[in-house]
Amino acid sequence: MSEPCCGPGYASPAEAMQAPQEKLLYTIAIYTGTGIQKPDYLVTIDADSESPTYSQVVSRLEMPGIGDELHHMGWNACSSCHGDAGMERKYLIVPGVRSSNLHIVDCATDPSNPSLFKVIDGAEIKAKTNLSAPHTIHCLGSEIIISMLGDAQGNAPGGYLHLNKDFEIVGRWENSMGDIKFGYDFWYQPRHNVMVSSEWAAPNTFMPGFDLEEVGHLKYGREIHFWNFEKKEPEQTFYLGEDGLIPLEVRFHHDPASSHGFVGAALSANIIHWWKDDADQWQWEKIIDVENEPHPEWPIPVPGVISVILLSMDDRFLYFCNWLHGDIRQYDISDPHNPKLTGQVWMGGLLNKAPMVNGVKVTGGPQMIQLSLDGKRLYVTTSLFSTWDNQFYPEIRTNGGCMLMVNCDTESGGMEIDKDFVVDFGKEPNGPSRCHETRYPGGDCTSDIWL
Amino acid sequence: MNTHSITLANRNNARFDVDAKKPLLDSLRAQGVDLPYGCKYGGCITCAAKLVSGSVNQQAQVALNNRQLNDGYVILCVARPTNDCVLEIGVESHDRLYRNPFLDPLQPHELKADIAVPQEDIS
Repeated sequence: MSEPCCGPGYASPAEAMQAPQEKLLYTIAIYTGTGIQKPDYLVTIDADSESPTYSQVVSRLEMPGIGDELHHMGWNACSSCHGDAGMERKYLIVPGVRSSNLHIVDCATDPSNPSLFKVIDGAEIKAKTNLSAPHTIHCLGSEIIISMLGDAQGNAPGGYLHLNKDFEIVGRWENSMGDIKFGYDFWYQPRHNVMVSSEWAAPNTFMPGFDLEEVGHLKYGREIHFWNFEKKEPEQTFYLGEDGLIPLEVRFHHDPASSHGFVGAALSANIIHWWKDDADQWQWEKIIDVENEPHPEWPIPVPGVISVILLSMDDRFLYFCNWLHGDIRQYDISDPHNPKLTGQVWMGGLLNKAPMVNGVKVTGGPQMIQLSLDGKRLYVTTSLFSTWDNQFYPEIRTNGGCMLMVNCDTESGGMEIDKDFVVDFGKEPNGPSRCHETRYPGGDCTSDIWL
Repeated sequence: MNTHSITLANRNNARFDVDAKKPLLDSLRAQGVDLPYGCKYGGCITCAAKLVSGSVNQQAQVALNNRQLNDGYVILCVARPTNDCVLEIGVESHDRLYRNPFLDPLQPHELKADIAVPQEDIS
């Protein structure tokens, strides 16, 4: 299989781990919801520790409009098209979740200074597909699909937008949404002909902010869905109940032969694990349960709110953030049924464990994370979503977000916040902004899938 | 054209005549007022403003719960004036828009319209 070729990415996860160390980071930064009437933008950060501008923003690419709320993003190509010499990992697709605009950003012509290549107007997407609120992007070989969380009026469940490699709208990807109530994240594992999708809420529910009472009124998700990937339709649903309130990030093992996968249930603060058993049946179990923590000013204990999970490229370590508690945890999941806590660090959060890190007041908690391909450097940002930030961490409006780096011990486990790396988005030239998802030019632990 | 006068209390009481048939966001932006907005269909709350006096028709909005409505919030991308209005705009007007949902829960009648329980039904 290991041909001396050719397309983007790597022949295998093991090969990806041998890739050169990342020298640039792309991170989105938002002004939506901050009161600063400027476009959201993509920042490029110098991650080369030998460089004089290490740990600094080296360029900023403003989007053409205001109020997009840039959120997640994805590459036009990943290791799923490694065998295709005609493909190149060149463009980041950077959606605005509020505007539904898709910004196609050229990161290859000048990697330190990305440029806007094309915009697919949200109005065109709504008109052609009746979809809005783009979230997760994965390439499927030369095609691209994007989970869209609402219809054109912001109602659930939305569906999947299909783009071709030239960024033209093909239409809806799925043949059916079945009985799915909500959309959010998805990941596919083609050797098992499966895609798993999770549930946040309708855009009209989550965009204005979080009303806890709406969880009880079933306005937020608590199910995960197993799709027949070739037929493009859901085949089986697991009702996770109270153990799985608001299941967000979905991660399969990077090993394409594996059937094991994980989802973080944000509000229940649990990690759910699934796998295919000896009888070829999908099974699920709760493997981690983060206890709620007492707070001096709260009438009820504070839930962790697991806003993200991530697997190292060798599938040995699971990382996740408790956005309200303020900790990042590392578990050894060599046995996926029996995770072992091997590391934990604190930054920000509501429990006041680490209000200052590297001389910067951390407002918000650890939120989006991205891990280097070799598994040794974990980059962390602190903003979740503008309206939710405003509810839980209102000071973020004046303080902005920040990015930190955590050094991870890949031999015996363990984590430590790097003392030399911090990007303070409170000091941005146009005023305090908030940083969210991060990607690397050479691919990362949440984008690449192997066929 | 049926017009109403809109006064922006936190913009030095600047006054604008606007078309009663058009959403306030469009009318005010067309006259040079810098306003935040996102979805433009009444669902995402980015353009919320506070109605100090006057009245609007904002039947199309689905972003606000009843507490936010009672606090005077209006969604400018779908709200059409039915009278002369005084507004506070921008995030400076959002002091009561966001609350910690764990510390300050909503009462059943304060939920969004589709799930709220009318106050007289609660005993």
